[in-house]
Amino acid sequence: MTMNRGAIEQLRKAVGADHVVSDPHDLVIFERDASITGSLPDAIVFPFGAQEVSTVVKIARAHGLPVVPRGAGTGLSGGAVTIRGGIALSLARMHRILEIDPVSRTAMVEPGVVNADLSVEAARKGLFYAPDPSSQKACTIGGNAAENSGGPHCLYYGVTTNHIIGMEAVLADGSIRWVGGDDPDRPGLDLLGMLVGSEGTMCVITRIQVRLLPIPEAVRTLMAAFPTIETASHAVSSVIGHGIVPAALEMMDEVTVGAVEAHYHAGYPTDAGAVLLVEVDGLTESAEELMVEIRRILEANEAFACKLAADDAERQLLWAGRKGAIGALGRIKPNYYLHDGVVPRTRLPEVLHSVGEIGRHYRLPVANVFHAGDGNLHPNILFDLREPGVMDKVEKAGEEMLRACIDAGGTLSGEHGIGLEKNAFMPWIFTPDDLQQMHRVKDVVDPKGMFNPGKVFPDPTRRDARLVARSGVAAEANWW
Amino acid sequence: MVDGLGAATTSRPASAEELAAALGEAAAAGLAVIPVGGGRALGMGDPPERFDLALETSGMDRLVDYSPADLTVTVEAGMPLEALQAELARAGQFLPLDPFGGPGHTVGGLLASGWSGPLRLRYGTARDYLVGLRVALPDGRLARSGGRVVKNVSGYDLNKLHLGALGSLGVIVEASFKVYPKPLSELSLGWAGPGLEEAWAQADRALSLAMPPVALELLQLGGGLTLVGRIAGTEEGTRRIRRELGWQDADDGFWEEHARHGAERWARLSVRRGALSGLLRMLPEPARWMAQPGVGVAHWFDFEDPDRFVAVRQAAEAEGGSLVLLAAPPDFKRQVGAWGRPPATIDLMRRLRDAFDPRRTLSPGRYLV
Repeated sequence: MTMNRGAIEQLRKAVGADHVVSDPHDLVIFERDASITGSLPDAIVFPFGAQEVSTVVKIARAHGLPVVPRGAGTGLSGGAVTIRGGIALSLARMHRILEIDPVSRTAMVEPGVVNADLSVEAARKGLFYAPDPSSQKACTIGGNAAENSGGPHCLYYGVTTNHIIGMEAVLADGSIRWVGGDDPDRPGLDLLGMLVGSEGTMCVITRIQVRLLPIPEAVRTLMAAFPTIETASHAVSSVIGHGIVPAALEMMDEVTVGAVEAHYHAGYPTDAGAVLLVEVDGLTESAEELMVEIRRILEANEAFACKLAADDAERQLLWAGRKGAIGALGRIKPNYYLHDGVVPRTRLPEVLHSVGEIGRHYRLPVANVFHAGDGNLHPNILFDLREPGVMDKVEKAGEEMLRACIDAGGTLSGEHGIGLEKNAFMPWIFTPDDLQQMHRVKDVVDPKGMFNPGKVFPDPTRRDARLVARSGVAAEANWW
Repeated sequence: MVDGLGAATTSRPASAEELAAALGEAAAAGLAVIPVGGGRALGMGDPPERFDLALETSGMDRLVDYSPADLTVTVEAGMPLEALQAELARAGQFLPLDPFGGPGHTVGGLLASGWSGPLRLRYGTARDYLVGLRVALPDGRLARSGGRVVKNVSGYDLNKLHLGALGSLGVIVEASFKVYPKPLSELSLGWAGPGLEEAWAQADRALSLAMPPVALELLQLGGGLTLVGRIAGTEEGTRRIRRELGWQDADDGFWEEHARHGAERWARLSVRRGALSGLLRMLPEPARWMAQPGVGVAHWFDFEDPDRFVAVRQAAEAEGGSLVLLAAPPDFKRQVGAWGRPPATIDLMRRLRDAFDPRRTLSPGRYLV
């Protein structure tokens, strides 16, 4: 689709000429998000404030242009990719923290606020924002809300939807609406819950009210090594079987540990088949008490080389390895592709076994780094894009790994979203009637389908059936 | 009977498929259907315009799947909450759903009504741990949303849309939850005194502890004010909190008794936390109420004067809150309305309702949408 000059002129008038990009050379920067298929927008627009967003939406509507909202572009499912062209609507200029209220423990932010910046700011008042995606140094609260993002600490604290109290959103008719609010039992349909996680297909989020939590008195972080993924998985189940839900329970396999250790020197034993990071927080006494118990359980399940972070620096180092894992994988192969299927946690060992088999079958190295506590896998398929024909193999392997998750009673995505990447697989888990229910909602909220077309639902008109056209470059992913 | 109106027919399907078929047929015939679970929340909403078919879920009370090690459970909608909790307790687990007006709530009825209880202070409401739903729609179809795993962003989160919708978009037939291990150690503490100001200060003190209570209730049910807090954590942790708070030990049996509170006339006051005590002061003395100072919700019993009721509601709405009837005689409901001022997004809610229930088959007139 090419945008007519009239539309461009109207957009320039609406947000200022400096805030509309339409030169084909410049459009390339918004061609893709943090992975998969790229596709050029016709224009990139940087509005400031809900009023400008509303005007842009009305212009797009008048010209029949798709609108694809975009935060930091760190998404992994193609949510911000303008697969049908149109307007890439960047919320980057709207990045103010409007208010932090220590009494009600809430914050009001604009969508472009970077996740980690909010917690840094809230910390001055003894508070933090719980959802912590691994990309938190770059990703935005608006993007997190659109994707209902997770993170390591969601095991105990819950995902994004559990922490958003209200939002201002611009709907397809250009109206600016407030949904949710701090009345805890609002009468009426839960529009807020419906919009969070709708992947940019229902609205443009322009303001977000989030819940903040008091920073816990104490945090204890333990690293434990295991001979195999299986033993580590059993240990995880055993911890939870003892009635303990830690703040985070993260696992890395042998391949990941090797790469991470070479890169960060986090102190992970390189002879381990798997490394587990366990974190508990709360009262000092409770954290100590729990950690003693957890360590006992882990050691009864073949853990070795247990190491408790002695101070915050050591804790940060242990976490740097986990959060930076994908960047470190660049040491093995320059490119990666990862899925985020979820399985019932007890099925982890067998599914990880299948994932390994699939990798071997396609002769592709696979590095697993994932949220073991809630059964959320992150198998990273490692490859070199320059190798002819490799993309087909990567694509097939990824699809088979997801299939293994579904066969084990799991689901397609735990925290990355369906987007463009997995919409073709939606019929694996949803019947036509299930999908039709979702479509009913979409048709009410966005009857012309202008917001982020071609996402979430299977798209029979998809011009590019390829899952992975350009995949993530590990070396670029140093915020991971 | 709902608000004095009885149904011509009652149907008690034995399966989701049967229920969906009955609903689809009723809708096609232009009948008005009210889904009935345990009947505990039937007092909610405005008096129905019509009522032809009572669709009871009590024939669908099976445990579909429970995997303690995965912390997930799936049940049919007609299962009583107590039966589910008993099942979970055998594995040392529980669902932190402890609504008032029990016992006898069914899981489906609870989700449709959106009721919650004291534990929401720590665990949130069903909104926070409901992971999957199966719903019968007025066109006779069955549709699922979510799944059976604890973390899931596949597709739209339509669980949330049905939760608290009083069955006006569809009838919940099955639900999946994330469950929780019982706390390692637990104790209850109480405080009693005459004045609201001091009680509120005590509540604030409890809420600002390094490990705040998982539930905190302030009651005025005749003769003074009582605060009861529920402390959960490790043994040493709970001991420390008891020491720091300095309240009296309370009987752990309090919570079960407390959940039985309900009335022929009661309403739910809900507002941002900071505005709750001001509204409680407005209730005409001697008012009977129980409040959640950490949440911003209170339940008010036995109000009589419709004008006073409306005045409190308007004050709540001016603060961005609400005062919703949970049960009242039909005449009182007609005088004041069950829901109060419609939200600003009511147009969008109505369009959603029309898309799901174009012939207004489900509980016509009861819900605010």
